[in-house]
Amino acid sequence: MIYGLKTAINYLLGADRAERNFAVRTDDTFVVSYPRSGNTWTRFLIANLVYPQQDITFANIERLIPDTSSQSNRALKRTPSPRIIKTHQYFDHRYPRVIYIVRDPRDVVLSYYDFQRKYRQIQDGYPLEQYVDDFVYGRINSRDWGTWGENVSSWIATRSASETFLLLRYEDMVSDTTNELSRVARFLGVSADRDRLEKVVEGCSADRMRELEQHQSQEWIATKNRRQDIPFVRVAKSGGWKTMLPTVSVANIESAWGPVMKTVGYELTAISFKEPAAV
Amino acid sequence: MARVLSGLKYLAGKDIAGRNLRCRPDDTFIVSYPKSGNTWLRFLIANLLRPQAPVTFLEADRLIPSVDGRSRKYFQQMPVPRVIKSHYPFESAYERVIYIVRDPRDVAVSQYHYQIKRRILDEHHPIEEFVSRFATGNVCPYGSWGENVGTWMAARLHHPGFLWLRYEDLIAHTEMELQRIASYLNVEATPELLGETIARSSADRMRTLERQQAGEWASTKGTRKDRLFVRTASSGGWKAELPEISVAAIESVWAPLIRWLGYDCASSLKRTHPSEHLFETVLQQRAL
Repeated sequence: MIYGLKTAINYLLGADRAERNFAVRTDDTFVVSYPRSGNTWTRFLIANLVYPQQDITFANIERLIPDTSSQSNRALKRTPSPRIIKTHQYFDHRYPRVIYIVRDPRDVVLSYYDFQRKYRQIQDGYPLEQYVDDFVYGRINSRDWGTWGENVSSWIATRSASETFLLLRYEDMVSDTTNELSRVARFLGVSADRDRLEKVVEGCSADRMRELEQHQSQEWIATKNRRQDIPFVRVAKSGGWKTMLPTVSVANIESAWGPVMKTVGYELTAISFKEPAAV
Repeated sequence: MARVLSGLKYLAGKDIAGRNLRCRPDDTFIVSYPKSGNTWLRFLIANLLRPQAPVTFLEADRLIPSVDGRSRKYFQQMPVPRVIKSHYPFESAYERVIYIVRDPRDVAVSQYHYQIKRRILDEHHPIEEFVSRFATGNVCPYGSWGENVGTWMAARLHHPGFLWLRYEDLIAHTEMELQRIASYLNVEATPELLGETIARSSADRMRTLERQQAGEWASTKGTRKDRLFVRTASSGGWKAELPEISVAAIESVWAPLIRWLGYDCASSLKRTHPSEHLFETVLQQRAL
């Protein structure tokens, strides 16, 4: 009863969240990743690439590249085609074109830990080892998006051989942003020379993103009313886990997802897995 | 507007739960791609869990309802622990899953006949055309066969709540497979109970029941009566029914997964894309 009324009223007010319940169009492109994997940065890069005449900020990013978990059905419906849509969903067969960003889960978990503190979902002193265990066994708030392993492998196993799927690794984006952005441009059919790509990359540097966040954190739905002492744009680096993550937690993650991690090119340090037989 | 309607339908109990089902951790889902033996498995499990009297199609549908066949209210009112049928590709909210997989070449033949029964296809419709759409996932709303099987296998293979079965093994070693299901469901299965359950779910018995209930059961209501829902109940029929070009169409997209599941490939195997290797790697999650 309550649920039905709430659904109807939320929709009328535009207060619902689209998530998996909206009509996908055949010319949509989805920017997909597990949370805390560089999706926001990629979104800024893509928006600057695709809409060069606009100044891209946290205040207009939701209109240009809407997020299925913060925007309503109606907002998505009103976005003109061809749409570029951001989401954290695991495999959805309706998505016609997908840019998938993957990040080393050992870094993702550290970023997620800070994020959940920022969102006041966990206390500051929450034990990291316990948090990693929650992360591995799907006991954190991202339940709806599956675990890291479920999310990544659901996409890789089905779409990695497809021409409508572009796999980006956050680590490659950090080490050679311009090159990875040129792959994105090709995938989106945007012609951009090296000068233009470099300009886009510069405009989306971690420093610039931090500066925008400082000025606009109350204008962006993802940071509004959250703890201001913990930034959304964090280190913007890879490999922090090597010094920050306890060995037992590294082993926990690697034993859960080792083969998938190796498939996307992350070296295991705590445990070893048999290579698949050559076929 | 669609959401307002769905809200009102929900109030009236006329909605379809679908992806909006509120899952419980003690739910068990019986999942498969359509035409992979899900109905037979439902009969087996329903007869196993409720041995008092043989189940019928209508009872099986009530005891183990489909997520796409009932309202949210219906599911809320079901006694727990619930057993629920679904055809969805990977759903993270399903904690306990019995997944039944079947050789896609037989699935294609079975879906083709079912679409004729449902008058979606004319009985002279070329099967090659149907299979070419089957291979691209354009025949039903649950993704392609490879997407459905692949997402579940890749995401859940080593999850303690995941039990997967092959339709072919269920046919060849029904009692052994049913024993696995019984222990997964924590049912103490005596040889008598297993034997009775299997007899009550035999293809012949299901065909008899189908003739009696076809007009009332959701999956057969209004469909052609000259063709049965319970078809051959066997495996390998594709070898006689499927033209070579259709076999090749299926194998060229899913050969790695087909082989990984232990099915032979008839046509010559050639990798179509280098990153198919990724697929096999993800699936071969065997720790040393």
